[in-house]
Amino acid sequence: MPLDRDSWFFRTGRKAVINFTALFLVGLAASPLQKRSWGEVRTFQPELNLQDVESALGQGIVIGLLGGFRTLLADFVYLRANYYWEKYDRPNTEALLGLTSSIDPRPMYFWLNGARMIAYDIPVWRIREKGAWEDVPEFYRKEIYREQVDRAMKMLDRAEKFHPDDMRLPLEKARIYYDKVNDYEKAAENYKRAIDLPNAPYYAHRIYANALDKAGHPREAYNFLKNRWFTMDHTNRGAMPEVVLERIRELEARLDTPFIERLPPQPGETEEQFNLSPFGESTISRQGEVNFNIAPATPDPAPAHDHDHDHGHDHNHDH
Amino acid sequence: MSAPGRIGLIARNTFLEAVRQKFFNVLVVLSIAMIASANFFRQFDFGSSELKFIADFGMGAIFLFGSILSVVVTAQLFFSEIENRTALTMLAKPVYRWEFIVGKFLGVFIVLFAFVTLMLALLAAVLYWRESGLMNIHPEDFEDGRLVNYLGIVELAFSELLKFGVLAAITMLIASFSNTNLYTVVLSFFVMVICQLQYIARDNWSDLDNPLLRGLVWFLSLLFPNFQMFNVGEQLIFPTHDATLSTGGYLGIIAYGSIYICMLLGLSAYSFRNREI
Repeated sequence: MPLDRDSWFFRTGRKAVINFTALFLVGLAASPLQKRSWGEVRTFQPELNLQDVESALGQGIVIGLLGGFRTLLADFVYLRANYYWEKYDRPNTEALLGLTSSIDPRPMYFWLNGARMIAYDIPVWRIREKGAWEDVPEFYRKEIYREQVDRAMKMLDRAEKFHPDDMRLPLEKARIYYDKVNDYEKAAENYKRAIDLPNAPYYAHRIYANALDKAGHPREAYNFLKNRWFTMDHTNRGAMPEVVLERIRELEARLDTPFIERLPPQPGETEEQFNLSPFGESTISRQGEVNFNIAPATPDPAPAHDHDHDHGHDHNHDH
Repeated sequence: MSAPGRIGLIARNTFLEAVRQKFFNVLVVLSIAMIASANFFRQFDFGSSELKFIADFGMGAIFLFGSILSVVVTAQLFFSEIENRTALTMLAKPVYRWEFIVGKFLGVFIVLFAFVTLMLALLAAVLYWRESGLMNIHPEDFEDGRLVNYLGIVELAFSELLKFGVLAAITMLIASFSNTNLYTVVLSFFVMVICQLQYIARDNWSDLDNPLLRGLVWFLSLLFPNFQMFNVGEQLIFPTHDATLSTGGYLGIIAYGSIYICMLLGLSAYSFRNREI
């Protein structure tokens, strides 16, 4: 059957083919241009993970996202998560925290507070659901903490994809490992990552040494603190040199370090403390208090485990 | 009268007709209200700094209302000429159909220019006012000067204008073969959503295992323009050491938008060429 060139089908088909072909060709021609500019632009843009927001589709989320109100939408979802947090509603709190950071992964606030709620607060709720704290067997409590810490770590792992150079993320991981599951090996690993990144706080160095010590590496902890002593800014109050020195001396005593290898006496320490003979008794005789010329430090916002405390309570985080 | 003169005349009439519409005025008033109220919504901000929140909120309002304006006004002005039979009168005179398309588009483009300029000027004023207030409260945070790059807002005006221009050109293309205003508006919004998400196809087609599906996704990724390319407001308004759009990158975006507008207008003129009015 001959093709009728005047038929609607032929005319529309021809028009569609020409339009699609032209659009495809212009897309192909503009591809290098798009590659160049998009390559640059996309590095600034947080990727919208549709899989993560899929559960919330139909609630106006997509319209808000496509409409450019990502920031506002994330704030409202975060508010909603806090509403459920107040009600001790675990599934909704966790789901909405995940949704918040999926909608707008840029603010660190969502990641850190979300992880803290998951690792610090939710385990307490779960234990309370089973009865009084002391009535719940310890192994069960530990299991709950382990589960929640794993969930918090998953969240922080996702955060690191968006903020690979932000020391607050490994720092938060380290604190959670240290405080909540006493996994000092992983805590030390993450403290190390944090202090290798710019702007790490002073206390992270001190607690890195603590974590190393508790993980069964006191020698590494000692060497780290000793090196740190020589490189740190002694005039900075936040660095708390008196605490660092105290730890060094504690470790020297515990490791039974020969006096010749120890950190030389520092200003304010009494000479009598040190028997400089390499064959002398390797015990520090503490004759008097250590007195430093440096004024008592106002510590930088160090976590509670700078002096080990038990943390069987809700963690304070910003709301 | 020469072709540019005829196009100019159509554009001028289109512009005047658009600004006389209640729809345009309502959208402008809504947008102004939204941007001006960004300052009150900052109480809801948890994640980002106050100025960034105001800028995000304002840019969100511009995108939302700008998109509605681009699609609805283009479709409405195009079909009003056909429904009122004024297109017949106009095309009976020595006016080519491509001139009609280009004139209509230019009229809408001027409307969009006025909208974007007005909204970004308002956003800049809100940001300036709030930044000055913050400078008095926290002078230590502004030791290196102002945080907002007001020149970046001017640059942003062009990229936003081109984004809306591409959307208006898409609507013009759909209107050139469609029979109703409603169909054009609905289809244009669908295409806008596809263009907003085009980058997912573009970035991921190569990861697909099925060669047939891979080819299809690749084809689709080239069929639609990438609207996320124009999403550079934060980098232009708050440039930092890590996130500053280079001149090459910016010019690339401008060129990309311009190429698409020209191409879409060409296709619109082609589709409209043999259309029965």
